[in-house]
Amino acid sequence: MKKIIRLTVNGEPVEAAVAQNQTLVQFLREDLGLTGTKHGCGLGDCGACTVILDGKAVNSCLVLAIQANGSEVLTIEGLAENGKLHPLQQAFVDKGAIQCGFCTPGMILSAKALLEEKPNPTELEIRTALSGNLCRCTGYQKIVEAIDDAAKVMSGREES
Amino acid sequence: MNDFRVLNTRAPRVDAAAKATGQAKYADDFKMPGMLYAAILQSPVAHARILHIDTSKAKKLAGVENVVTSKEAGLIRYGVSPARYDETIFAHDKVRYVGDEIAAVAATSMEIAQEALSLIKVDYEEIPAVFDMFEATKDGAPQIHDEFPGNINAEVHQEFGDTEAALKSCDLVVDHTFLNKRQDAAFIEPHSCVAVFDHAGKLTLYTSTQVPHYVMRTVAMTLQIPVGNVRVIKPYVGGGFGPKCEATPLEMSCGLLSKITGKPVKMTYSREQVFLHSRARHQFYAEMSLGVMNDGTMVALKNKAVLDGGAYTSFGIATVYYSGSLLGGPYKLKAMKYDGHRAYTNKPACGAQRGHGGVAHRACFEQLIDMTAEKIGMDPVEMRLKNIMTAGDMTVNELDMSSLGMKECIEAIREGSDWNNKKGKLPKGKGIGMACGFFVSGAGYPIYRSDTYHSTVVIKMSEDGGVANLLTGSAEIGQGSDTAMAMIAAETLGIPLENVRVYSGDTDYSVDLGAYSSRQTLMTGHATKEAAEDLRDKIAGFLAEEMNVEKSGITFVDGIVKFDDAPGNFEKIRTSYIKEHRGWTDQPSGEFLTFREAARLAFLKGGTLVGTGKYKPHRLGGSYKGAAVGTSPAYGCSAQIVEVSVDLETGQITVDKMTDAHDCGLAINKMSVEGQMQGSLSMGLGECLFEEVKFDSRGRVLNPSLGEYKIPTALDMPNVRSIIVESNEPNGPYGAKEVGEGAIMPTIPAILNAIYDATGVRINELPVTSEKLFMALVEKNRIV
Amino acid sequence: MLLPNFEYIEPTTLEEALRLLSDMGGNARVIAGGTDLLVRMKLKIEKPSQLISLRKVPGLNQVIKRETHGVSIGPAVTAADLARNEFIRDKFAPLATAAGKLGAPVIRNRATIGGNLVNGRPAADFPPACMVFDAILKLKSATNEREILVGEFFRGPGETIIEPNELLVGIFMETPAPWTGGSYIKLGARKALEISMVNVAVMLTLQEPLGPIVDVKIALGAVAPTPVRAFAAEQYLMGRHPSEKVFSEAGAIGVGMCHPITDHRGTMEYRCLMIETLTSRALNLAYQNALAWKP
Repeated sequence: MKKIIRLTVNGEPVEAAVAQNQTLVQFLREDLGLTGTKHGCGLGDCGACTVILDGKAVNSCLVLAIQANGSEVLTIEGLAENGKLHPLQQAFVDKGAIQCGFCTPGMILSAKALLEEKPNPTELEIRTALSGNLCRCTGYQKIVEAIDDAAKVMSGREES
Repeated sequence: MNDFRVLNTRAPRVDAAAKATGQAKYADDFKMPGMLYAAILQSPVAHARILHIDTSKAKKLAGVENVVTSKEAGLIRYGVSPARYDETIFAHDKVRYVGDEIAAVAATSMEIAQEALSLIKVDYEEIPAVFDMFEATKDGAPQIHDEFPGNINAEVHQEFGDTEAALKSCDLVVDHTFLNKRQDAAFIEPHSCVAVFDHAGKLTLYTSTQVPHYVMRTVAMTLQIPVGNVRVIKPYVGGGFGPKCEATPLEMSCGLLSKITGKPVKMTYSREQVFLHSRARHQFYAEMSLGVMNDGTMVALKNKAVLDGGAYTSFGIATVYYSGSLLGGPYKLKAMKYDGHRAYTNKPACGAQRGHGGVAHRACFEQLIDMTAEKIGMDPVEMRLKNIMTAGDMTVNELDMSSLGMKECIEAIREGSDWNNKKGKLPKGKGIGMACGFFVSGAGYPIYRSDTYHSTVVIKMSEDGGVANLLTGSAEIGQGSDTAMAMIAAETLGIPLENVRVYSGDTDYSVDLGAYSSRQTLMTGHATKEAAEDLRDKIAGFLAEEMNVEKSGITFVDGIVKFDDAPGNFEKIRTSYIKEHRGWTDQPSGEFLTFREAARLAFLKGGTLVGTGKYKPHRLGGSYKGAAVGTSPAYGCSAQIVEVSVDLETGQITVDKMTDAHDCGLAINKMSVEGQMQGSLSMGLGECLFEEVKFDSRGRVLNPSLGEYKIPTALDMPNVRSIIVESNEPNGPYGAKEVGEGAIMPTIPAILNAIYDATGVRINELPVTSEKLFMALVEKNRIV
Repeated sequence: MLLPNFEYIEPTTLEEALRLLSDMGGNARVIAGGTDLLVRMKLKIEKPSQLISLRKVPGLNQVIKRETHGVSIGPAVTAADLARNEFIRDKFAPLATAAGKLGAPVIRNRATIGGNLVNGRPAADFPPACMVFDAILKLKSATNEREILVGEFFRGPGETIIEPNELLVGIFMETPAPWTGGSYIKLGARKALEISMVNVAVMLTLQEPLGPIVDVKIALGAVAPTPVRAFAAEQYLMGRHPSEKVFSEAGAIGVGMCHPITDHRGTMEYRCLMIETLTSRALNLAYQNALAWKP
């Protein structure tokens, strides 16, 4: 039996009927068409499905859609504003932090959650924040550099 | 310095914004009206006769649209190399590994498809299985394929020069053995495919593949659809690294089910299925002897290989050849002997993975060089410098090193890592090690015997002259080929990068063999360059006619046109362009004619403007059996130095620093080159320290997840000092060659040599877990 | 990966949650973070017919400094919250360290201490850290309430003494005495996303900065069917003056308490050797932290 949930997704109110065994990643991808959230393993091992749920980066494959009832969800689609890339997205583009791109949405969202908590993170803090998001393409280096750059831009220490 | 305007820069990738915003579509992101969801039934046992398959219950389940087995799919054999077609879409007489495909279901939802699978009843008669590559070839071992007695899937025997005599003439011969474990590519995007069979009889596949062209041919063959009616579209792909280099059961099942049901059919593998499908790195056993003179001159190499192939061939024939041929360089040898075989076992089939066939044997060889250097009291860097090849050298197995910046690479890392102040001077538990390697820039021959072009490219100008649309069948899988092609086209046409738009990964656009053997930069690059030259020439021709000037005096640069380096008298063209585009906000201006105006003029004179390009390598390699494998128009090479810390009380290894120099010829995009280097090193680090696909005693994968199959996290990977070395490759477009795979070659042995330096223990089996190293340390202390 | 069907129930009071638990019999499972339970359900290891969520039950996700010297931790407190809680970091360092080593941030933001304890995995991060503080677990059912020492909670791999109708509602720990230091060491292959091959928690109290050891607790994970205390090693250390030699002897004694298995993560032999090494390391570390104790 489906149940009605009400939540905010990327700033917009959403009301939907969901199956009780539906995960948040399924709901976002299949019901809302927000396919920027990727499905990599389904077991919380890879982080490709990372979204920000009530301010915290989580694996959306290990959250039931129904558990997000009343919550605020931010997906990669909700990051750019007025057609302008978020500084993290811009830094990922400029620094070559993206190769196949499958881990990218999750990486960016984990980074965003980090920067909200720690606007000036150390390299170790950045790497720790990303440690549940696997990337097989980049060796992480340019991702770490991009986040470091974005942090500087966002905290006003450097021009974008 | 060079005069390039677009090439050799650090351009952001053309697809980066789409990927950063979540707009980029991957196969599993597609959803179509009426789309069905498919799932595959896979064998739970490793080796069994199939007595009976009953799909009746599954078919009756509400929501199930169709169930197919070998009865519906037929028994057309396929594989990678036509010489070893040993697979059928579904198993019919027996299953050969846990995961072998038996049936597929299409239903209105994934839940129903899964439930239907559980309703298919298969009667198996289990027969003895063999899981070990050495056991498999012994007398009396269970036979996996009737046609291959003794479970020998392929064997190679090659000798160049008189190896035994050469070894006898040496001052010193050192032996070494090495065993790696089966590894997985662990791309983050599992395989996914949507098949659409339309009323015109055309099958379109949207699939996560590295090789649209080969998928098209294989699917056409197995589903008996005229090849012209099969279109393979590769959307964005979440990594490939080799295993996505062949047609998959999921593509064929979806295609078949769509053909039967007339509806779009989608299937996505679970992570466990990715492990069961495998086609990733083989397990290799290497046994080698290196003969040298006391002054460090390498003379002869004897190399033996045993490969655990799993239940089917996949890329295996090429793999077993590569394990031999890729040791021909980058050091000069007088003689080389190679004997290798690939055994069938009752496990998922292994195939190609980054550094195809060469990685484990390179690891053994580069350790052997260090062992030898130690024995003769020579610095490992010096020993390598003494023996390396240079541009123009030919390996003993006739691979032509048309460019080779090996010396530059070694010198760059020696300086970049401060080797001279570290080697032999680090405290106990700290170590430094180095290694080299080289790799092909595209296989010299297609997988099937053919005179086909390896790549063709079409560039079509937009009608207003503002955008060059580049059409190619090549496969952007994350490595950055779309960006590289856009840069080559922009450079050649003389226009800014943003004025090139790339449409790729579609078999209807052009012929391209795809993303494997590090071939696209060189091969697709050539075709792109030629297409751009063709187009440029056409535009210049029309312009010369209109302006009544010599074509040879016309140049395009940065989007403007110069006539003998001067603006020329182009007022008439500009006036008419502006008139034609009245009300537009981006009218041309400035003291030079723009490329856009020139291209528009050409369109008005000649209609839609198309430039085409094509490429296939010249005849390569020797004439001995297997000479084709290892040939390439060019070879990239690299050298790495790794520094490690070993916790001597636990065996835990931390890689502290990596210094990598790679000769990629001209670096088309420096940022992408560095990305390939860093990614290769990360994969090499994982394979060296963590990664192993493990099996239980019944052939079931014990760790089919990214939690238990451990690839490096951001905390495991150090920063890499990446040094790009640029030789000028005569056979490459603008002098460019590979970086995608060659960069992984030195990583494993460099780490192993560093571990030896730190501990005095030589590890000859991967992965070097803390336990393996600690136990080896205990053993060493016991002996000492 | 699909989840089996179940009914999801979100009680809004503790009483309601407990009543539901007793009504549902053994077919219901409690879901808090879900990072373990949902994985097990996807892998078809568990198939509960009801999931009773703690999401709306008030008061379960707080860390409360008790007036009477100690801390009360709600079962739904996440690993991330514990790892960053200043009071926990200061007074219960092994717990904060263990919390910070669990999985990775995306897991820690959901995974709860209660779930980690109740699941009873031999390699779990929280049990040893709770055991060195002799944590008291409060279990409640619709009709009953009992308190149990964490050391008596675990029965075997995946098994604890909790009854199907009981809920873990609180974890209580006494603030350690002055001159106490603690440590937690986890041995795994990678530096994140790891399940321990061996883990060790230590709490060590000195009589005074240069005085002898007056209290010590050592707990080990992944070395036996349940997490275990190394009582013999503790006994050996009591009253002794700290030294590397004493600690390494304690490590050797600690191995005697363990019965590790060989599995695909590591062999019994290696695990035993690591118990010795890591116990002595953890003791050293705890000692250093004890010396740095501040009121």
